[in-house]
Amino acid sequence: MSKLTSTKSRVFSLIAAASLVSMTLVSIPSAHAADAVCATVHYVETCNGATSDGAKYQSMVPANFNGTVFLYSHGYRYPVDIPASFPAAAGGGYKVANYMFAQVGPSAAVVGSLLAKGYGVVGSGFSVQGWNADKGLATDAELIPLFKAKYTKTTKVVAWGESLGGFITQALAEKYPTLVDAVAPMCMAAGSVEAELTMAGDALWGLKTFFDPSIVGHSYKAGLAGYAEAMGDIAKILTIASKIPAAVATDKWLDTSGAAGVALAAIPPRSALLLVGLMSGVPTQSAHFDSTTGPGPVDSADYSKFALAASPALATLENIAGAAILGVLATYDVELQAGGTVFDNSKTDYASRITNEAASFNLALSGNSAIKGMMGFLATASVAPRWTADAASVAKMRALVSHTGTINVPTIGLAATADATTPAGNLQWLADRAAEQLAASKVAAQAEYVKTGTFVSPKSKFLAIWNAPAASYTKFSGATPITSGPAANGTTHCNYTTAQYMAVAVLAAQAATTGAIPVGGGVKTIIRKAGGLAIDPNFRAPLLKFYNEQ
Amino acid sequence: MIGSHRKKQFMLASAALAVSGLALSALPAQALNVRQEVGVTATTIKLGITVPVTGIAAPGYNKVAPAMKAYFDYVNANGGVYGRKISLVVKDDGYIPTLAVAKTKELLLKDKVFAVVGALGTATHKAVSRSVNLGRQGIPDLFVNTGYSGFGVKKDYPTTFALLPSYIMEAKIMSSYIKENFSTKKIGIIVQDDDFGDDAIAGFGQAGLTFDSTIPYASGSQSAAKAAEWVTKLKKDGITNGDVVILFGVTTATAAALAVAGAYGFKPQWILGSVGGDATTIKAATAVPAAVLNGAIGASFLPAPTDTSDEYIKFFQGINTTYNHAVTFDNNVLVGMNSAMMIVQALRAAGQNPTRKGLITALETKGSTFASAGLAPLGYSAKSHVGYTGYWFGKYNLAGELKPVDNAYVVYTTDSGTGQVVKSTYKRPALPTNGLPSNS
Repeated sequence: MSKLTSTKSRVFSLIAAASLVSMTLVSIPSAHAADAVCATVHYVETCNGATSDGAKYQSMVPANFNGTVFLYSHGYRYPVDIPASFPAAAGGGYKVANYMFAQVGPSAAVVGSLLAKGYGVVGSGFSVQGWNADKGLATDAELIPLFKAKYTKTTKVVAWGESLGGFITQALAEKYPTLVDAVAPMCMAAGSVEAELTMAGDALWGLKTFFDPSIVGHSYKAGLAGYAEAMGDIAKILTIASKIPAAVATDKWLDTSGAAGVALAAIPPRSALLLVGLMSGVPTQSAHFDSTTGPGPVDSADYSKFALAASPALATLENIAGAAILGVLATYDVELQAGGTVFDNSKTDYASRITNEAASFNLALSGNSAIKGMMGFLATASVAPRWTADAASVAKMRALVSHTGTINVPTIGLAATADATTPAGNLQWLADRAAEQLAASKVAAQAEYVKTGTFVSPKSKFLAIWNAPAASYTKFSGATPITSGPAANGTTHCNYTTAQYMAVAVLAAQAATTGAIPVGGGVKTIIRKAGGLAIDPNFRAPLLKFYNEQ
Repeated sequence: MIGSHRKKQFMLASAALAVSGLALSALPAQALNVRQEVGVTATTIKLGITVPVTGIAAPGYNKVAPAMKAYFDYVNANGGVYGRKISLVVKDDGYIPTLAVAKTKELLLKDKVFAVVGALGTATHKAVSRSVNLGRQGIPDLFVNTGYSGFGVKKDYPTTFALLPSYIMEAKIMSSYIKENFSTKKIGIIVQDDDFGDDAIAGFGQAGLTFDSTIPYASGSQSAAKAAEWVTKLKKDGITNGDVVILFGVTTATAAALAVAGAYGFKPQWILGSVGGDATTIKAATAVPAAVLNGAIGASFLPAPTDTSDEYIKFFQGINTTYNHAVTFDNNVLVGMNSAMMIVQALRAAGQNPTRKGLITALETKGSTFASAGLAPLGYSAKSHVGYTGYWFGKYNLAGELKPVDNAYVVYTTDSGTGQVVKSTYKRPALPTNGLPSNS
C-alpha cells in the first residue's frame, strides 16, 4: 500500500514537474478557470466548467478510469446566426449562442463506448466559433493540465478531433508535444486555412461564373451589409442547387446563368457543374451518387449514360452545395479576421488543374471540345473576372495558426476518400510530411551508423487510415435515383460509424501507451472488424489544389 | 581507406552471391525455398484484367478476356510456365473510369495479382494510372489495349507496356494512304472527343492532313440519333458520295454511323480506324447492311481473323474451338489470344522465379523479339514501352472480311513523333512449335 502510494506520488510529481517544464518552455496559457461542477451518475463523474477564456468544457470519467483520457476538439461551428427561413440542412435557425456547449466526443455512442472501456473523455466548446484554431489551441492546452490536476491517475493523453478539430489536434501536437502522448486527427483540415479557403473560393467563383453572376463570394462588406451579402449568397446557392437537377435532365441552363448560359448553350450545364467541382477539388462520389451506377439493366445505354454522364454531376451537386455554403461562411469569417479579401484566383490555371480528371470524366464533361470551350469562357475576363486578394489581409490570414506537418507524437489520421468538405488530400498532405521526416530520419540514422557503427532503424510515427465508399451504391426507383436515406459511408463529411471511430480510438490509445504506431496482425484485425477502413501505403489521395500549386 | 575496405567486402559478397546464384539456378523453381513475389506461388501465377464485360463498350471488347483465358488454359494443359499454371482474374469495369479504378484496386489488394494485363480503354486506364499509380508501386501493366500514345512513354508510365500502335501512328499512316489514294477528295472525320481522338488528330496534323468536316463526339454519346446529326453535318460541310469519311472511334460509333448513313443513302468512302473496325461487332451491334460496309477501308496490325492461310490465325482458331466455346473468331478474340501468347513469353523471359521487376526488365530486353501474330515490329526496349509500330490497309468485302488492298499485307511503320511513314521490311517470328513458347 505504501509502495503504491509512493509510486502514485512519484508519478504525480513527475506529471506536475513535466507540466511545469512545459509551461515554462512553450508558454501554455495561464489558467484561471472557473471551478467545475461535478456529479456522478452510473459510476461516471461528469464535470462542467469553463476555461480562463470562458470556453465551456466537460469531462467524463468512469469509476474504472484506466488512466488514458481522450481530449476531443469539435469541428467548425458557424460564427454567425443563420436565418430561420433557410432549410435545416443549410443551418436554418442556427444561433451561435446555442452552440457554445462543450463536446467530449464525436457522438454519444462513441463517448459511451470509450467510457465503457475505462477511458476518460474531455472536450470544450471553445470560446468563440468559426475558424478558431488559435483559440481552440489555447483552450486545449489549458484543459489538459486542468484534467490532470483533477484526475491524478491520468497517465496518457490522446488528443483527437474532427474537421477543424482535427486541425487543432495536429496544431496541439506540433506546438505542445509534451502535453499529448498520441493524436488522431480525423476528417481534418491540414496545413493552413488558406488551402481550404482556396477550395471554397474556387467553388464559389465557379458557381458564380456559370450559374449566378450576382453571387458575391468574396470581399464581403463590413458590418451588417457584409452579413447580408453572405446570407444572400447562401440563398443563391440553395436556389442553384434546387434548379440544377432539372437542368441535368433537360440540358437547359439556369435562368440565372447569364452570359454562360448563352455562350455555352451547346454544352450541358451538368458539364459546367462538374467542371467547377473538379477544378476546386470536390469529390465525385457523394451521399447518394457513386459515379459508377445507372438505372435499368447493366448492359443498357441508359445505365452507361447515367453512370458516365449524369452521376458525376449529381454527385458534385450533392457535394458542392454544402461545401459552398460552408465556403461562404468560412470566407466571410476569415475575411473578418484578416480584414479583407483573402482568396485570389487572378493567376490560377484552371485548365491545368483538371488535366488528370478530364480523361476520367470525359463524357460527363461532354468531350475535350466542350472542356476547351468552358475553359475559354473561364479565361475571358469580361464574363469571368478573376478575384484578387488584398496582400495585407493575406498576410494576416497566414499569421493564423498553421501546420508545419511535424510529427512529434504517434499520429493516427482518418480520412474519407470522398469527404466533400475537408477532402482526403488534407490527410495526404500530412502523410507526405510524415514520409519526408521518416526519410530524413533514415538518412540521419545511416549517417550515425557510418559515424558510430550503430544503426537504429527509424520507425514511422504516422499512420493514415482511409475510409473509402463502396464502388457502387446508387439506388434507383425505376429510372429515378433515390436521394433519401443515409449517406454512403466514406462520403459527405466526418461520416464515420461508431466502430470506425472506436478503431481509431483503440489504436491511438495503444500508440499513446507504447509511444509507437501499432503494427502487426492485431492492427489489421481492428481495421477489418471496423469495416470500411483500409491501411494502404500505396494509396495516395489527391492533394488539395492549393498544395499542388505551391 | 574505409571506402576501399567496404568495396572489397562488397565485391566478395557479390561474388559469393553470384556463385550461389549459379548453383541455385540449376534447381527447379518449386524446390527452392525462396521468397516469392505477390501473385506467384509454387504452382500458379495470378494475373488480373479489367475490361468492359457489360455496358456500352462491352460488345466485342467483352470477348478479349475469355480469349486470353482460353489460350492460358491451353498453356496450362501443356505444363504451364515453368510448371506454374496461369490464372486470370477478370473484373468488369463497364468502361467506366471510376469503376476501373475500384476494380483494379480489388485486383491488387484483394486478389493480389502478380501483374495487370490487357487493360482496355484510354480513359479507364488513364484513371487507373492516376489513382492506383501502378508505376509507383512497380506493378507490371502489360499490353494495354489502347493506342493512346502516352502509355508507351516510359518516364510517365514506367511499368506500362503498350500493345496497339499509337493512334498518332495510325493517323499518320492513314494520312499517307489517303494522300496517295484520295488526294482529290474532300475529307471528313468523325472522331471521339477525348485523348483517344486527340491523339489521332495530332497524328493527322503531324502528317499535314486537313479536314473539310470535323465532327467530335463525346465518348459514350454515340447513338442512332447522334449519328443522324453527324451525317447531316457531313453533308452540310460539302461531303458527298465518294468523298472520304474517317471514323475514328469505338465500334458502337462506327456501327451507328454506318447504319444511319446506309438508311440515308449516304455513300462516302469510309475509312475505319482500327479500334472501331471489327466487322463482327459492327454487324452485331446494329443493323448495318453488308453493302454499306462493303468497300470500306480498314487498318490492322494483325492478320485478318478470317485469313486461315496465316499460321497464327489457324492456330488461334483451333484454340478458340477447343477452349473458347467456338465463339465467332474476330479481331477481339485474336487480340486476346495474341496478347496471352505474348504474356506467356514475358513470364518465361522473367525466369523460373519471376518478380515484378524481373518481368519488366525481361520485356525491355527481350520483348521486341517475342513471337506474335503481329505483322508490324514491336518497339519494346530499355527506353521505350511502345508496342506494335505499324499497320496494313485492307477493304471489307460483302462478307465483312478485311482483305489486304493488294492481296498482300503491306505494312507501313512510323513513330509517334516526326518520323516518316515507311514500308516495313519486318519479318515476324514463326509460330512457336504447337503454339507453346519455349523462350527464356
